[in-house]
Amino acid sequence: MITRYDEQQLDALCELASIGSGTAATALAQMLGCPVELAVPRALALPLADALDAVGEPDAMVASVVLPVGGDAEMVVLLLFSYRCAESLCELLGVEPRSELGDSALGEIGNVLGASAVGAFAQMTGLALEPQPPHVLYDMLGAVVASLLSATAAELDFALVLDASLRVETAECGLSFLLLPTVGGADELLGRLGFEGGE
Amino acid sequence: MGELAVSATPEDELVSMGLGSCVGVALVDHDRTFAGLAHVMLPSANAAYSAPAKFADRAVPTLLACVERLGAQRERMVAVLAGGAQMFTGAKAGVAGLDLGARNEAAVRSALAELGIPVRAAATGGDRGRTVRVRVGEARVSVKEAGGVEVPLWHPHVHADDLVEAQ
Repeated sequence: MITRYDEQQLDALCELASIGSGTAATALAQMLGCPVELAVPRALALPLADALDAVGEPDAMVASVVLPVGGDAEMVVLLLFSYRCAESLCELLGVEPRSELGDSALGEIGNVLGASAVGAFAQMTGLALEPQPPHVLYDMLGAVVASLLSATAAELDFALVLDASLRVETAECGLSFLLLPTVGGADELLGRLGFEGGE
Repeated sequence: MGELAVSATPEDELVSMGLGSCVGVALVDHDRTFAGLAHVMLPSANAAYSAPAKFADRAVPTLLACVERLGAQRERMVAVLAGGAQMFTGAKAGVAGLDLGARNEAAVRSALAELGIPVRAAATGGDRGRTVRVRVGEARVSVKEAGGVEVPLWHPHVHADDLVEAQ
């Protein structure tokens, strides 16, 4: 496997993902007014061909919220969940699913999760990170993820995926919370954590 | 993603699932026994090494070389394309690169033209993901759009020149 990151660096990124998704879970629980469970996150540096499979079935239809992050370290925050889960989250927030208002509510969930995770990163690393407005998309999982990885993993043969799953018990809903840093973005984060970054 | 596959086994099916801005390039032999499929992510190579089919400018010649190695003849090959959608529109287009899907398709078409391989059918553009399937034995290519049903995209029987050849 070709990877520029060693175990230690992946551990550091995983720790970062863990703190980011922990903060995000707390923010989501506050927004929804119900408990949110967080599974232990993973930091994966995978060959492109395997990265999609690690995220899920490429053919599956998913609801997604894409939140680009600019500033000192570029990355994309991506939320993936089932149509059914999108519906129950909308119901929980009292809006019509698959409507303009419903999409805007899902976008807002993406905003809250993304902004709180990114805020935690900024605090840990001292980097200035700027979340941009969210984009809600209903499509094939592969089409969403591969199109984003084309941009974040353009220069390399592997994709860096930080993956956490959140579970909203009241809505019986599981969300995948993914961070797709660009190579430059990951190096910048690692640099601030005391690593040299990729060689 | 970024990979390619070729086959000369009639029972095989080559599949690229969930193509967004990526382009699935299918090469099919008139003989109906050779087929290849590449999952192209970006227009042109910008790195010293890469996954075999990540970049259009390398993927197309590599795919052709692989099917030729199986015994396929270049002059009998035709191409069928799927994907190249614009998943993110407006201000968000920057997320996945401006018009990345369209640029991928243009790069694939120009690489095919350079090798003299005609594009016989294409399901490209738009803003939906697609899955493309190549049934090797029948040289049949089908496509399914996100939220839609699988529809035939290309089959040798529908083309008059193939019918003549079959006699």
